[in-house]
Amino acid sequence: MPHSICMVSDFFHPNAGGVESHVYQLSQCLVERGHRVVVVTHAYGDRAGIRYLTNGLRVYYLPLRPMYNQATAPTLFHSLALLRCVFIREHVTVVHAHSAFSSLAHDALFHAASFGLASIFTDHSLFGFADVSSVLTNALLRASLGGATRAICVSHTGRENTALRAAMPPGRISVIPNAVDATRFTPGPPTGNPDSTCHDRAHLPRSVDRRCAGVTVVIISRLVYRKGVDLLAGVLAQLAATRSDLNFVIGGEGPKRIVLEELREQHCLHDRVTLLGALDHRQVRDVLVGGDIFLNTSLTEAFCMAIVEAASCGLQVVSTHVGGVPEVLPPDLLTLCKPTVRDLCAGVIAAADRLLAGKAPDRATTHARVRDFYDWRDVASRTEKVSNDDSSQNDN
Amino acid sequence: MDTEANFGSTNWKLGSVCIFVLCWWLMETGTLVPSQLFTSSLALSFLGYYLYDVIDGGTGRRCSGRTRLADLKSVLIFLSFTYGLSPLLKTLTETISTDTIYAMTTFMLLGHLLFFDYGANAAIVSSGLSLNMALFASVCLASRLAGPLHTFTLITFACELFALWPLLQKKLKKQSTGCHGMLTVLFAVVVVTALAMVAPACAALAIVLLFLLSFLIPLWLVKLQLYKDNIHGPWDEAEIKDDLSGVLH
Repeated sequence: MPHSICMVSDFFHPNAGGVESHVYQLSQCLVERGHRVVVVTHAYGDRAGIRYLTNGLRVYYLPLRPMYNQATAPTLFHSLALLRCVFIREHVTVVHAHSAFSSLAHDALFHAASFGLASIFTDHSLFGFADVSSVLTNALLRASLGGATRAICVSHTGRENTALRAAMPPGRISVIPNAVDATRFTPGPPTGNPDSTCHDRAHLPRSVDRRCAGVTVVIISRLVYRKGVDLLAGVLAQLAATRSDLNFVIGGEGPKRIVLEELREQHCLHDRVTLLGALDHRQVRDVLVGGDIFLNTSLTEAFCMAIVEAASCGLQVVSTHVGGVPEVLPPDLLTLCKPTVRDLCAGVIAAADRLLAGKAPDRATTHARVRDFYDWRDVASRTEKVSNDDSSQNDN
Repeated sequence: MDTEANFGSTNWKLGSVCIFVLCWWLMETGTLVPSQLFTSSLALSFLGYYLYDVIDGGTGRRCSGRTRLADLKSVLIFLSFTYGLSPLLKTLTETISTDTIYAMTTFMLLGHLLFFDYGANAAIVSSGLSLNMALFASVCLASRLAGPLHTFTLITFACELFALWPLLQKKLKKQSTGCHGMLTVLFAVVVVTALAMVAPACAALAIVLLFLLSFLIPLWLVKLQLYKDNIHGPWDEAEIKDDLSGVLH
């Protein structure tokens, strides 16, 4: 039974990120399955009004001003008139809100309940219970999810967390992980995107024969505290000192970049540690295939998309054992370490030794396995089931 | 526990603010003559100065290496500058209405109370800001007095009360908490008595506030600890237990 689904989130194209690509990919796959999907988000600069994306996906850029961190103000009623307009115009039957950081999503859930529409909330992040921001966000979440009929979390850890935070019965929360577009993250030589300029290509690592150049460890993340940049600095210092055959490529930008730059200066690692700065999503694949091992040092992660992308490119993955990370890949593809410098170094060294001994899993096989594990169409069909359950419950 | 350690800190501040405003009021009505206030505050300051060294047996002075001569120089410079600038400060707020002055003073003194370093480790604490607000309040009030001498006296008194007095009080607290506790009570009594002589209603309010700040609110804080709830699980952010100071600056 085709639904008319309205995806609501503050975070959407032209912003690039996990939530944004999740909303986009899910919308496209649902459109493929025959549903009617629209996306509602706030205006990004000049981009206000209605725009169309691939397959006629209609995006409403509502003229609301973002207040903090790309999210609109949580006033609840300033978006009511516009949302009502969209719901009526599109004959919406299911409202699907994304991300607890998005106030527009909370508003939509709240209003969907008053309009009698089925509503689903997808939670992409983990929260604690003790600090001020968590306490406030959890209170807000309890208010919005009071009316939501179903929730979707990206990992079982996330489900547990959401059930406790939002005081929602766990029976109403489903676990549907994110997926990865395996056609874009394939192993092989870097293609060099025809859209990128010479300047963009120049600072990507050269595709030299890896056997001669040693082992390359790739790290791609925002350089912020919660992504474990401090741990990363410790790991880099220790690994650079103990193993001379390891090279590091770090992509991403953030306030903690200075820590890595200082480390590079202090230990004179300019030839072994490359800082690429902010990467366009199109360039990520080329950076990944230039490496052999992907290192993730996050301190907390609901579901790490970067890990799946790296595995899809055939890299071995070493990560901290936090949040929902253990649920992402099986143990032969993912090396889990405690969030300490020693353990992470041991993990990276073990992976490097495996590679040098020729015992590392074959890239193409890894890619094929990941392609089978994660597929957006699968995510869409599972989401559809949730919507079906939701609206049938609503009818009753 | 923190509440016990900081018992009475707020009392001192509230008392200081009350004493300050009281002195200003007395000078405004003419009951207190500037020379009286100046000599008594100077005498108390000297006593405080002497006690500051005596309390810890001279270790503080030995550690900081600051000579008595340097202290004397600072005092003389400060007094002469304030005396020289007092006519300027007197006429500083002539064009501003009295109501604005009173509002500014109230706001500044409240800010002073809010931002003062009571010993808690919080982002809101800023001893620099709190001192600045107190001195600004004193300049506001002092400019409304009768003459430059009054202004000079009040500002000197304010500096002694808000800048020097907390230093002595902190040192005393570190040395002997029992003595400190007794002095807190004594100070509270002095403040209330002084207020009662001028405005009984204010004295009553002061008693209520002091009681609230010293006993009721800390008791409430302790009782609320029972309701503190935290659920730990795999979602918690990992704590970095390694000592990364060797790697990071």
